[in-house]
Parts: sequence; structure tokens; C-alpha cells
Amino acid sequence: MNNEQRTTNLDFYTYPSVGTDDWCYAFETARVRALELQMFTRAAFLDMANAENFEQAADLLSGTEYALPGPGEDFVQLESILLLRRTAARKIFSDLMRQKSIAELFKTRDDFANLRLALRRTLTEKPLLNDYSDEGNVSLDLFEQAFTEDNYELLPTYMQQAVEQAVLAYYQNKDIRQIDFVIDSFQADYNLKEARRLKSVFLIDLFGIQNDLTGIRTMLRLKFTESHSNVRPEQVFLKGGFVEPELFEQALELGYESLAPLFFATPYYRIVEAGASYLASEKSFLRAEQQCDEHLTGFLKSTLQITAGPQPIVAFLLMKENEIRNVRLVLTAKKNNLDTKLIQDRIG
Amino acid sequence: MDYGMTLAFVGAGLAALMAGIGSAIGIGIAGRSATGVLSEKPERYGQMFIMVVLPGTQGFYGFLAAFLVMLNLNFFGEGGAMDVSVKLGWQVLAACLPIAFAGMMSAIHQGKVCSGGILMAAKRPEMAFKAGVVYAVMVEVYAVLGLLVTMFILLKGINWPTPPA
Repeated sequence: MNNEQRTTNLDFYTYPSVGTDDWCYAFETARVRALELQMFTRAAFLDMANAENFEQAADLLSGTEYALPGPGEDFVQLESILLLRRTAARKIFSDLMRQKSIAELFKTRDDFANLRLALRRTLTEKPLLNDYSDEGNVSLDLFEQAFTEDNYELLPTYMQQAVEQAVLAYYQNKDIRQIDFVIDSFQADYNLKEARRLKSVFLIDLFGIQNDLTGIRTMLRLKFTESHSNVRPEQVFLKGGFVEPELFEQALELGYESLAPLFFATPYYRIVEAGASYLASEKSFLRAEQQCDEHLTGFLKSTLQITAGPQPIVAFLLMKENEIRNVRLVLTAKKNNLDTKLIQDRIG
Repeated sequence: MDYGMTLAFVGAGLAALMAGIGSAIGIGIAGRSATGVLSEKPERYGQMFIMVVLPGTQGFYGFLAAFLVMLNLNFFGEGGAMDVSVKLGWQVLAACLPIAFAGMMSAIHQGKVCSGGILMAAKRPEMAFKAGVVYAVMVEVYAVLGLLVTMFILLKGINWPTPPA
């Protein structure tokens, strides 16, 4: 059975396989397990969500790695602490990952994010600016040089092709969303291609799930904004997931109440059911986003069955990034005096 | 050195070598896991120690079997090692195989079980002995059985010739 067939086979109930042990990673896995002890629990997030105001929520961070240096510190400082923690988590990941090609694969996320931002600015004739992430594989100097000189051959091959396709797609009808669709598609293809080259069952399954969850989010957004007639479904929905893109296309034609039965035979039934009904009643994507995060986290947590291997290290990175996002999300919501119930709905 | 003696030494060597290799691999696995946890939680050293050393016992079992062979061949006695027939050589070699193979395989797998136990002890220290050590000892049982079979054959099954006066 080849990998192409494998990723579209739903031969599991909730989560696909995470692969097998690799005993070279005994030290690295153990270190990650010890680091996981410092991670936030759901109860800690709920306490923050239930805090009366931003200051009280920020106080709950004292004694954690996100603690503000002094009382009365502002949100800007907290943001810089969160960025520092994210950089630290990524450094731990790079240090512990023995297969450097896996570390580089995860760094391409920043490359694609930079590319998306730069293309949006360039094609809409806005200044390029210099607020890009420096945690990718491509140095910022090289990146800036490629865009200021319009010499995209300086970029790695996978980025060159993405640039060409994104520019072509944008100029077809000058729709800015086309840039995102093309880059998302290139990124998904690249991830899966690299995962197959590395012969990593875990990464193939992880990227498959991520593609499916992106498909669910996109489908709900297109339905909600009723803009699916303006886009070509085959371009919008990512291939390489466990669910065929045709299922998402079919979902676009149905009402919210018919979405869940359509996904009944997939592992995403609960996500679609909860997300669609919340969207229909509350006009909000909060529940769908929360369910998508929970599903991915559930898959990452299933790496607990691995005693030694790269899987727990990848899982640690993604869960840590998710934790940082959630801290930012709760505190931003508190800063803007959002209703506690909304925050609870988002963090689950 | 005659053929029989060579076979006997191969047996003794295999017992010590294979069980020793198994123990080294097992301790290596458990040790790497333990250092990973200790790099973040040094206070857990006591809990980790027993799970790191457990896979080392098979190496001692192999050494014990090899020592018994050498002792019965009067290796350390006056007059030097006795003459060993080909038949006796084969018997000694066969006697050493249970601890050689059971020792090697059980030590490697015990190292993996201990590694799992160490990871669990990192998150749930109260389970370190109850599950981590007890499960590892379950694997140890099969190395002990291998050693017992080796010892029974060496001590009861073989008619050792009388050492030279």
C-alpha cells in the first residue's frame, strides 16, 4: 500500500497511527515528558477565563514561565514574553530533534507565513516593511533581497513555485484570497511530500489531520460568508487529508443541519456537528475552532504511547505553541472585556 | 587447546558476552531516559536509579554462568584446566545458551520497560515502584529462569571429570 492511498483511507476510529518507537530518542523523549509537567492544565485556563479582569488573569500567571516581571505591567510586555517563550520552545524542539530535516520542515511554517505576508504587500503595492519572522529557514536578508530585486530564484525551490502560482492566481481576478489559497496548497503539498520522504507515519498522519481541519474551517467560513460561488472548490480545499475534498464541496451545497450527517463516517463528525450548530445559532466560529484545536491536541496526546521517538517532541512543540496561543487569546479577551462565556466556549 | 575445551570456552564466553551486551543496551536505554528526566527534575534521582540498574542484573547472571564453567573446568585450580572431551564441550556449550539468549533479550526489553517506567515516574512519581519497578521485575523473571536452567545443567546434568592431582 503506498502512502498516497494510505492518507485517504479512514482505517481508524478517532485518531490515526502515531508510528512506532525509535530508541535513539530515549533522552529527548524523557526530557520532553518532564517539560510537559510545566504545561498549563485546562483548569488553569478556566481560572484565567473566570478572572474578573485582565490584571487578575495576568496575576494567575505569576509562578509560571509567563509571569510578568512586575505588577501593573502592560499587554505589550506580556506579548514580548509570549514571543520569547515561543522562541524558547522552538529552540528546545530544534535542539532535541535528531533528524534535522524534521526541524527544518517545521521551520518552513515561518517561511510560508513570511511569503504570504510579503506577497500580499507586494501585489497590493504596499511597502514591504520588515516585521517578518526570523525563525524560518530563509534568512530575512535573503528574503528581503529576493523581494526588493524581484529575484525569486534566490528563494528555495518550494517557495519559488509558490510565488509563481500565487502571482498568477492573484492576477486572474485580483482576489487577495487567492494568495492564501495557493500558498496553503503549496505548504500542504510540501509538508506531505517531506513527511513521505522521511517515511514518517506520524508526520503523514499529522499533516493529513491538519489538512482536514483546515478544510472544515474553510468550508464553514465559505458557507457563513456565502462566498463559495466566487471560488473554485478544487483550489480551496487541500488534498492529502483523510477526507476527500469532494466531501467539503458537497457540504457547501447543504444547510447547517445536514452537515453533521455528511461527516458521520469520518472522525470529524463531532467537530462539524458542534461547530455548525454553534455557527448557526451564535454566528461565531468559536466552537468550530475549539473543536478543531481539541481534535488535533487529542492526536498529539496519543503520542503518550511512544516511549522514545520524534513524535513526542513534535507533539510538545505543537502543544506548547497552542498553549501560548491560548494564553494570548484569554488575556486579549480579558483586556477587551469580552464575556467570560465566550472565552470558555473558545478554550473548551 | 583441544576441540572440547574450545567448545566449553565458547559456551562460557557466549553466556558472559550476550548477557553482557543485553545489559549494556538495556542500561543504555533506561539511562538515556533517566538523564532526560533528570535534566529537568534532578530531585527524581532516587526513583530513577533502581530502574536504570535493573537491566544490569542479566550481565551478572551471564558472568556467574561463565564463572561456574571455568570453576568446574578447574580453570583457577592447581594443575590448570582439565582435559575436556568433545561431548563434554558440547554439553557445556548447550548449558550456557539459555542464560546467553534469555539474558540478552530480557535485558534489552527490560531496558525498554524501565524507560517507560521512568517516563511514568516523571509524571506520576507515586507509580514509580508500583508499576515501573514491578513490571520491569516481571521481565527479569525470564532471565532468572534461563540462569536456573543453565545452573541445573552445569551443576546437576554434567558429569565433570576429576581434576588432575
